[in-house]
Amino acid sequence: MFKYAIDLVFRRKLRTFLTSLGILIAVMLMSFILFGMSDLESLIVGQFTEQFKPNELTVGTMDMTSMMGGALSAPTKGEVEQEEMILNSEAVEKIENIEGVETVNRIVSIRGLDIYLEDDDVPYPRGFPMATDISGDSAMIGDLLEGDDLSLDGDEVYVSDFVSKFYEFSNEEMLGKKIILKSSTTSVFSAPSKSNIAKEYELTIVGVTDSGNSALFIGLDKGLEIAADLGGYDSKEEFLDTVGYTQLLLSTDIDKTSEIEDYIVDELGFSVLSTETLMEFVSTITGGLTVALILFGSISALVASIGIINTMIMSIYEQTKEIGIIKAIGSSNIQVLIIFLIQSAMIGLIGGLLGLGVTYILMKVIDPFIVDLLIEQGFTVNNFFNFRFDYAIYITLGSILIGILAGLYPAYKASRLDPVKALRHD
Amino acid sequence: MKNKYIEIKNLERVYQPSSKVKVDALRGLNISIKEGEMVSVVGSSGSGKSTLLNILGGLDWDYRGEIIVDGKDIREYDENYYRRYIVGTIFQTFYLIPTLNVEENILLPLKFGKKMSKKETHERLEKLLDAVGLADRRDHMPKELSGGQAQRVAIARALIDQPKIVLADEPTGNLDSKTGAQILDLLNKLNKEEKTTMIVVTHDMKIADKTERKIKLVDGRNV
Repeated sequence: MFKYAIDLVFRRKLRTFLTSLGILIAVMLMSFILFGMSDLESLIVGQFTEQFKPNELTVGTMDMTSMMGGALSAPTKGEVEQEEMILNSEAVEKIENIEGVETVNRIVSIRGLDIYLEDDDVPYPRGFPMATDISGDSAMIGDLLEGDDLSLDGDEVYVSDFVSKFYEFSNEEMLGKKIILKSSTTSVFSAPSKSNIAKEYELTIVGVTDSGNSALFIGLDKGLEIAADLGGYDSKEEFLDTVGYTQLLLSTDIDKTSEIEDYIVDELGFSVLSTETLMEFVSTITGGLTVALILFGSISALVASIGIINTMIMSIYEQTKEIGIIKAIGSSNIQVLIIFLIQSAMIGLIGGLLGLGVTYILMKVIDPFIVDLLIEQGFTVNNFFNFRFDYAIYITLGSILIGILAGLYPAYKASRLDPVKALRHD
Repeated sequence: MKNKYIEIKNLERVYQPSSKVKVDALRGLNISIKEGEMVSVVGSSGSGKSTLLNILGGLDWDYRGEIIVDGKDIREYDENYYRRYIVGTIFQTFYLIPTLNVEENILLPLKFGKKMSKKETHERLEKLLDAVGLADRRDHMPKELSGGQAQRVAIARALIDQPKIVLADEPTGNLDSKTGAQILDLLNKLNKEEKTTMIVVTHDMKIADKTERKIKLVDGRNV
């Protein structure tokens, strides 16, 4: 009976193949989710946890998760009011005095400057200088790939290895070279004014970091000096009182981290980005992506099922007389049902195996490109897709199940055919 | 030998294709057939021959009256059992499965219910292949066979399960007269060898003359 059912499947090879293409697409989408997405999340989480320690908190003046493009909650009036808050010396002092706060590092992002390497007319297109008092071996700055000066004084600057690559120098060659920061006339962050036109600041590279898209790090003092000068303030103090630090990076007693986070948000009115919130944010994004892919996969599985139903109904129509014959020679309704379910299960199996095969080949072909892309984006990764045999078995079983479910109605119809009418069918 | 192996009593079959149309295909048919007898059922088109064959073949159960086979009303049999082991049917257009070879076509009924061991099946297959003269064509596909050969495969298929009754619906209808006569001779031979009761439906009197007895149907009744 099984052989006879298989014969029926391969009697119309092209149609069986075309029908199984629907399953193939669904299987490919599901395979990409299973072989890629689970690793993507752990990859991103791994990358973040490398940069953000669980006891660290980043304090800013606005909701940093919404700044990243994915607000986790609706905006409130309170948040708008928070934007008026300034991270000035007074605020820093308050935060330093919170119990459990171990260190407070200050960060100022300096916008409105173009980054040039000496003797080169092409500005580095990505990132902006960040002034900080964080030492060179911290998680935020990343590892020093070249240079051994762990604190930035005066005109000293760290550049990311992306800058070395951009200007086609080795990291070692970059040491000692000058970085020229020129006030940008095209900045969207500040209105052009007479005071900031044609300003230039010269810095010396003392280290190359693996900080990726964070292009430049300069010492806090120098940074404040540049920010004040660029903004037309009389002194660093005036800049701090008016604009304030962009961010503070707190290292806290791990037992008190979330208590401190709540205190800063509720009592001082600043926004805080903790590793915990960041991870929630990451899993929201990857979770959303997974749901979207599963949705696409399910829709294509549904379309594939309709394709199978259509093919099976066509096949029953064509084989009506044959169903009559096998009924006349003694097959029961259940046996006819099984014959047609075997056929639809086979279509599912063929689609599943083809889908897995194509996915496997595609994964091998595109994996190096994705890995390159991720490495370029600053991720540390050896391979993106991870072909797992247990998942491959689940996918194959799933394909067979889809085939059987889609075949249920046509098979039932076939089993109920009146043999006399079936034998008269032309 | 039982004198009343098959007893058909007051068999009626009414078709109602629509609410206004009513067709009395069989109107109180009464027939008795002896065990091992080979009879023909003759009649013009529309006389009820095919309806009778469908009912006897266990394909149509929507009839009134009684059909007793070997002392038991056929309604008491399981439908599938009845079609599998009580009757074997031969059709005018052979109805072989095109993707299966001669041997596989003959063995197909056994796929739906087996009561023979592998050895018995093999012996039965060889015996039938010899009987129908197709031992050297066992691997041939139906499209490679002549009409007469295809009908001989169908005869072997009908007999593989050792049915008590073989029903043949115009078995020579698609064959030339010479081949038709050969097929009838084969059926006659098998009727003797297998001791199977055979009912041959035909409109060809020459074919009917080769059977032991003719049952003539006119307008759904036997005359």
